[in-house]
Amino acid sequence: MAAIVLDQVTKRFPDGGLAVQEVNLEIADGEFVILVGPSGCGKSTTLNMVAGLADITSGELRIDGDRVNERAPQDRDLAMVFQSYALYPHMSVRENMAFPLKLARVGKVIIEARVADTARMLDLTDLLDRKPATLSGGQRQRVAMGRAIVRSPKAFLMDEPLSNLDAKLRVQMQVSVSRLQKQLGTTTVYVTHDQTEAMRLGDRVAVMRRGVVQQVGAPQFVYEHPANVFVAGFIGSPAMNFLPARLEDGVLRSVLGELPLSDRVRRMLEAAHAPRRVIMGMRPEHFEDASLVHSSAREQGLTFAAQVEMLEAMGSEKYAHFSVEGEGASALELEELAVAAGSDVPGVGQLLTRLSTESDATEEKEIQVWFDSDQVQVFDPSDGRNLTLLPGMTG
Amino acid sequence: MTDARGRKAWWAVTDIVILAYALVPVLWIASLSLKPTHLINDGRFVPSEFTWSNYHQLFKLDLFTSALRNSIGIALIATALSVVIGTLAAYAIARLSFPGKKLLVGVSLLVLMFPQMSLVSPLFEIERSVGLFDTWPGLILPYIAFSLPLAVYTLSAFFREIPWELEKAARMDGATPFQAFHNVIVPLAAPSVFTTTILVFIFCWNDFLLAVSLTSTEASQTATVAIANFTGVSQFDEPTGSIAAAALLLTIPIILFVLFFQRRIVAGLTAGAVKG
Repeated sequence: MAAIVLDQVTKRFPDGGLAVQEVNLEIADGEFVILVGPSGCGKSTTLNMVAGLADITSGELRIDGDRVNERAPQDRDLAMVFQSYALYPHMSVRENMAFPLKLARVGKVIIEARVADTARMLDLTDLLDRKPATLSGGQRQRVAMGRAIVRSPKAFLMDEPLSNLDAKLRVQMQVSVSRLQKQLGTTTVYVTHDQTEAMRLGDRVAVMRRGVVQQVGAPQFVYEHPANVFVAGFIGSPAMNFLPARLEDGVLRSVLGELPLSDRVRRMLEAAHAPRRVIMGMRPEHFEDASLVHSSAREQGLTFAAQVEMLEAMGSEKYAHFSVEGEGASALELEELAVAAGSDVPGVGQLLTRLSTESDATEEKEIQVWFDSDQVQVFDPSDGRNLTLLPGMTG
Repeated sequence: MTDARGRKAWWAVTDIVILAYALVPVLWIASLSLKPTHLINDGRFVPSEFTWSNYHQLFKLDLFTSALRNSIGIALIATALSVVIGTLAAYAIARLSFPGKKLLVGVSLLVLMFPQMSLVSPLFEIERSVGLFDTWPGLILPYIAFSLPLAVYTLSAFFREIPWELEKAARMDGATPFQAFHNVIVPLAAPSVFTTTILVFIFCWNDFLLAVSLTSTEASQTATVAIANFTGVSQFDEPTGSIAAAALLLTIPIILFVLFFQRRIVAGLTAGAVKG
């Protein structure tokens, strides 16, 4: 077990491209930290630098206080789980799991015992003599985990270990990975592009974009207090809605109408010297069917009428889609978000709201929708930073 | 049921026809090699009289035994060197990016396509002037040159299929670069190396053009050339029977070689299932 510290770690490729830029991250002993971001954000490169599979261009990597930049992967005592599992196809499950111990010159009897223990823990005992080619995806994944666990390394590095599994199995494995990590108490750095997975697993998440860490913090904190537009849009599913707005006379004016500012929000905006043109961010769950909101509460929010374009009744909640006139919010980050989210482009003339099941909203019918003004997030369109954060609130 | 049986019968017939088409010439040569000289022209497929005299005579000929020795030695050395160099080159091509890589692969393919015929006389002149003519190295060197593109090309195609994440995984499991190569990459690459070895060996073993042009005496003449020279060398008989016997003998090393390595290829493939 070990504490891992990344101190201004930078990776520049030979062609000059900057893959990872001055990453600072302190991972405590036994902590489960997730690196999350869209593809190409440098999260895997960062993990490879920790592993020793990629050279560190500048900065320092310390494991338990020792600088390990120059140490070869085999001398760092870290175990890694790959997305492709990278099981040795010519070895049986038993041999795969025994391989790291054999290399460490552990005695035969101890190897036997450790492999048997690990196999029992991961429910692999019946598969020990099989070759990887005859295993299912989930079984291969468990073997890969077993190979990492078996020699009790200082830390686990996991590079999208569950991305090749189908959705149901992935959720199952997320639970077992999380349980296993708690049980073993081994420091874990986990890379994923899936923000739900990051939220579910991590003690802390580090959101990356274009080689730069955007924000580090507990999942819930990052969700509630995103540092900038990018984090706000990336974390959370369904994603946050963004609309361009003007800050005038203590209200936020947008295509939805005038949003009165709560004292809390007003103070924060003043402290942040907010510009007049801003981007307004609204989480889907902070909307509600206005007819279900108490009239006293309605005053502290914004109520607008809109036609339901599409309704998704999910049983425990209802998602109502609206299209709003005018263009969506435009900031550099939003474009990247759109790419990361695929077709699910946030903030381009679309508004997604979560309503309670009692709402009688139906498709193509106009309803009154209410938004809780205290929950609004306001972003600076020039640099994307969140203007509704208290100073020092970066996680 | 009858349908399946009918299809099976149809396949059996097809297989037999193809086998016959491929094997009849070989059997014909075998039959010729077992006939006494006066029956060579009798046109019978099954000899009416069997004799081993053609084979006995072959081994009495110093020319043939020395040629056989030359063939085996030259082909083995050329194959070994070509495969070793080819493996290293293919590993580099598959794994590393370096300037001029595409050019290297392109040029080596070009060598493969170049008509050997056009290179024979320059090679002859060169070898005579540097004293390589009619020596083992005089054949081994061109064999390596001509078989290397084949080796590099097939091997690099195979190597590209190996998931290199396995090497990374081995490093993370605590292996040194050499241990990772030895324990993980070599077992996976073995089937492709054996396949290439067979191809290169067959190329060297069967070559006639270079061998006939670059050798002149027993010092380096290979078996393919020796057979061609039987006419006039054999003093008492028409050489047909001897040629047939020699041709048949020449195929034996190849069959042994293929059988020996084929077992490893199959073993390697079943163990492989590279896709993780």
